[in-house]
Amino acid sequence: MKLFGLRKNNARWLLLLVGCLLLFPVRSEAYAGPGAGFAVLSSFWTIFVAFLYSFYALLTWPFRQLLRFRRRRKAYGKALIKRVVIVGFDGMDPELADRFMAEGRLPHFAQLREKGTFCPLRTTFPAISPVAWSTFQTGVNPGKHNIYDFLARDLSNYLPFLSSAQIKEPKRRLRIGKYSLPLGKPEIKGMRRGTPFWHWLGKAGVFCSVIRVPVTFPPEKFPGVLLSGMCVPDLKGTQGTFCLCSTRVQGDKFREGGVRIPIQRNGAKFHSYIPGPENPLGTGSELRLPFEIHPDAKRNRARISVDSENVTLNVGEYSEWIPVKFSAGLGFTAHGICRFYLKEISPELEVYVTPVNIDPGRPDLPISHPVTYSMYLAKLFGPYATLGLAEDTWALNEKVLDDDAFLAQCYSNHDDRERMFFDSLEKTPQGLCTCVFDTTDRVQHMFWRYLDENHPAVKDVPRDQRPKVIHDLYARMDRLIGRVMEQIDDKSLLLVISDHGFKSFARGVNLNAWLHQNGYLVLQDGKNESGDWFEDVDWSRTRAYTMGLNGLYLNIKGREREGVLSAGAESEALKEDLRGKLNGLVDPASGKVAITGMFNCDVIYAGPYVENAPDLIVGYGAGFRASRDSVMGKVTGTVFEDNIKAWSGDHCVDPRLVPGVLFSNRKITAEKPAIVDVAPTILKMFGLDLPTHFDGKPWTIAKAG
Amino acid sequence: MVVVSIAVSSLWVMVTPARETGPALLVVAISVIIGLLMVLVFRYTSDQNAIRRTKDQLKAHLLAVRLFQDQLQVVLRAYARILGGTGRYLRLAFTPLLIVILPLTFLIVELDRYLGWQPLQPAQAFLVEVRVDTPQALNQVALQLPPELAISAPPVHIEKDKEVVWRVVANREGRYNLSIVGAGQPASKQVTVSEGLARVSPIRLRDSFWERILSSAEPALPNDSLIRSIAITYPPRNVTLAGWKFNWIVLFFVISLVAGFIFKTVLRIQV
Repeated sequence: MKLFGLRKNNARWLLLLVGCLLLFPVRSEAYAGPGAGFAVLSSFWTIFVAFLYSFYALLTWPFRQLLRFRRRRKAYGKALIKRVVIVGFDGMDPELADRFMAEGRLPHFAQLREKGTFCPLRTTFPAISPVAWSTFQTGVNPGKHNIYDFLARDLSNYLPFLSSAQIKEPKRRLRIGKYSLPLGKPEIKGMRRGTPFWHWLGKAGVFCSVIRVPVTFPPEKFPGVLLSGMCVPDLKGTQGTFCLCSTRVQGDKFREGGVRIPIQRNGAKFHSYIPGPENPLGTGSELRLPFEIHPDAKRNRARISVDSENVTLNVGEYSEWIPVKFSAGLGFTAHGICRFYLKEISPELEVYVTPVNIDPGRPDLPISHPVTYSMYLAKLFGPYATLGLAEDTWALNEKVLDDDAFLAQCYSNHDDRERMFFDSLEKTPQGLCTCVFDTTDRVQHMFWRYLDENHPAVKDVPRDQRPKVIHDLYARMDRLIGRVMEQIDDKSLLLVISDHGFKSFARGVNLNAWLHQNGYLVLQDGKNESGDWFEDVDWSRTRAYTMGLNGLYLNIKGREREGVLSAGAESEALKEDLRGKLNGLVDPASGKVAITGMFNCDVIYAGPYVENAPDLIVGYGAGFRASRDSVMGKVTGTVFEDNIKAWSGDHCVDPRLVPGVLFSNRKITAEKPAIVDVAPTILKMFGLDLPTHFDGKPWTIAKAG
Repeated sequence: MVVVSIAVSSLWVMVTPARETGPALLVVAISVIIGLLMVLVFRYTSDQNAIRRTKDQLKAHLLAVRLFQDQLQVVLRAYARILGGTGRYLRLAFTPLLIVILPLTFLIVELDRYLGWQPLQPAQAFLVEVRVDTPQALNQVALQLPPELAISAPPVHIEKDKEVVWRVVANREGRYNLSIVGAGQPASKQVTVSEGLARVSPIRLRDSFWERILSSAEPALPNDSLIRSIAITYPPRNVTLAGWKFNWIVLFFVISLVAGFIFKTVLRIQV
C-alpha cells in the first residue's frame, strides 16, 4: 500500500506520529496551521450558523406558530386537501396524449385517466403561453391581466416591446468624465396585472412553492418561494442572444436571436469573445469577455479558456455552465453563466455559446422570491439555466445547432428543472407545489415536422428515417408523472395541465402583405415591400396592421401616433369588414382554410386593460400561422409561403383548435373546464373565499378513492 | 529536522527586512508567507471539486432552514443534512491537514525557539534547574561555568522534585556551555546571552522523546547520566502589535488564517 507516495511502514509511522501530535499537544503544536484552522473554523462556522438559526427558529417558533395558527386554521381548517401539486407541461396536446395513451406509450397518464380525469382544457384568446399562463395564475381573462402576446406595441412609434416586463435604466446618474455612474439599480416593472392565486394562499398561511411559471418576472413578494420562468431576460436584457464564434467569414447577425463573432488566429491559439451587456457606465459600448481556444485537431477536441476556467470539449460536446464576469471598470461587473458547444474544429473552427444567463448563484437581477431561493437551488444542484426561453430554438432554426445538439440542451435544462421540482415537492409536504416544464413546448415547436407527414421542412427526409422525437418527449413526461405519483398520497391533489395544444405550422401567412394587397396598409410611394417593423409604411394612409402572433390593430386617431380612423362607428365598420374578408381566407396553393376565426376583442375581453388589447384576434386554421415576416411587421410580396424552418409546430392558431390537457388523480366534474378555472378551483380546495373579480369557475373535485 | 532547519533558514532569509524591524513585523511576515504556502498545499492535496460541492450543499441546507422555516420536518431534515455535510467536509479537509500538520508543527517548533523566548541579557540573573533521578544524587551534582558566567547565589535543593537550582548571571553577550558534573558523565547545557533575536533552547533532556523533539534544541543527555534534565529560565517573549501584547503563536494563528483566507479568495482555492 502506498499512502501519499510513502511506503507502507513509513506511512504507518507518519500516521502514528501525527496521531501522537494530535493526542498529546504541547504549547507550540497546539495550533496546526491554517489547514486545520480553516477546517475547524469552516465547520465550526457552519455548525455555529446552523445552530444560531436553530436557536432563532426554536425561540421564535412558538410565537410564529401562534401568529400563523389563526390564519392556518382558517386555511387548512376548511381545506378539502392537504396539498395540491400542479405539473404544467407547456403545450402538451390532448389529441397526441390520447393517441400515445392508446398506443400504450403513456402508462402513467393512462392510469390518471382511468382513476381520475383526462379531458381537454380550454385555453385563452390567443392561445399563447404568456397569455394563457397569466390567466392560469390570476384566474382572469387577458382584459384584466394585460398580457395579450409576447409583444405589445408602442403607440407612439408602432414599435414592439416585451409585454410582460420592462427594465429601465436607473433614474439618477453621476457624470464623471467619460463615465456616467448609475446611482441605484435598474427599475424592473412587471406589466402583468392581477394577483396570482398563490398570493391569496400565502396570505391565508398556505405555503406555496412556485417554479418557472411563465410571466412571473419580476418576482413579486408573497409568503412562499418562487423561481421566475418565461420572460426572464439574459444578461444582455434580451430574450436570448446566442453567439456563434467562427473562423468562417460571414455576416455578423442572424435573422433571429443570435450574432456571429469572428475567431482570430494567433499562432496555435485562437481568440474570440462573448458579447455581454451594454456598459453600465454609460459609455455606449458593449462589454466583452475574451476567451481563448486551443484546438487539438488530432484528438478532435479543443480546450477553451475563459476567465480562470479551462474546459476541454470534444466536437459535438457541451461544457457545463461556466461562470463569466463582465467587468465595466470602477468595480462595476455583471455576472452570468453560459455553456460552450464545440461545433466544428476542422476545416473551420466554430464554437457556439449559449445566451449568457443571469447567474442564479449571484443574480444581478432578481429572478426569485426571496432572492435567496435561486441561490439555494444553485448551491443545491449547481448552476442552471435562468433565461425564460432557455432552449435555444433560434440556434436550431438558424442551423447553428443540429437536432441532437438542441435536444441535448433541452433535456439538460429539463433534468435540472426536474431536480428542482422534486426538491420542491419534498419541501412542501403541505400547501401548493407547482412547476411548469417548458421542454414540451420547445421540442414540439422544433420537431413537429417529423410528425406531420407532409411538412415542407422535411420533404427530403424519407418517412422511415424521421425520428420519433415527440413520441419520446411524451414518454419522458410520462415517466416524470410516474415519479410524482409515487411521491404523493391520497391527501394530495395532482393536476397535470397544459396551457394549449399544438398543430403543424406548415404554411406562413403574411397578413401585413394581405392588408397591403387589399389596400388597408399602404407603403410609401415606389415601395412594394417594407423592412422590419413597418419601415416604409405610410401611416397617414394605413388603416390596419398586424404585429406579433395573433393581434390585428386598427390605426385609430388619438390612439396611434398617426391614426387615421375615427374611434367608434368607422372603426367598428372596418373591424366587421376585415372579419368578413379574413374569416375563411383560403390558401390558394392547398385549398385549405387559413383563417377559421376572427375575434372581436371588445367581445372576448372584459376588464380595465382592454384598451391595450389588439382590435382583432386572428384565429389561423390548422397548419397555418402568422409568417415570421408578418410577426416582425414586414410587408412582403406574397401572402402565403411554405415554412421550411425547424420551427415547424405551433399553437398560435384559432384557440378552439388547440385546447390544453387536464389530467388529475381525482375525478373532476366541470362543464368545459378552462385554464381560467384553475385559480378559483385551488382557492376553493383550500377553503378560501373566491375574489369577486375572478372569471373562472371552480370545478367540483371528488374525494380520494 | 534537517529539512525543517533548511526551511526555517530559508524563511529567515526571506524575512530579513522584517527581522531588522523587530519581532512583530517578523511574525506578520512569517504568518503571511505560511498562510500562502498552506493554501497552496491545501489546493494541491485536496479534492477541490468535492470540497466545493460539499460547501455548496451545506450553504443550501442552511438556506433551506431559513426558506422553509415553517415546515418543521423540512427544517429538521435540513439540520440533519447540515451535520452530515459538516462531517463530509471535515473528512475532505483531513487529507490536506494530514499532509500539512507534520512539517508545519516542526516549523512552528523551530520558530518558537526564536520567537517564543527572549535570550538572556548581560547582568540578568537566571536560574539553572537540574533534575536528577534520585534524591541522593542531589548532593553529587556540581555546576561548572565558563568565565563569562557566575553563580550569584548558593544552590537550592528541592528534594520533593529531585531538583537542584542555581542562580547565575552572565557578564556579556555570547553563546556559552555550562557543565553539570558528579552524576555519571558530565552534561553540558547551552546558554544564550543576546540583546537581539537568537535561537534558544530552554531545556536539555535525557529521555521524553516527544518533549525533546518539541521543546529542546539540543541533543539528548547521555543515557547513563543521573541527570534527567537541565533547564534555563529564559523569559517568555511577548510580541507587541498596535499597543497590544500577544504570544507570537496567537498572532501567528490569527494572521496566517486571515492571510490564508485572502489568498484563497485571490487564488480561487476552495478551503
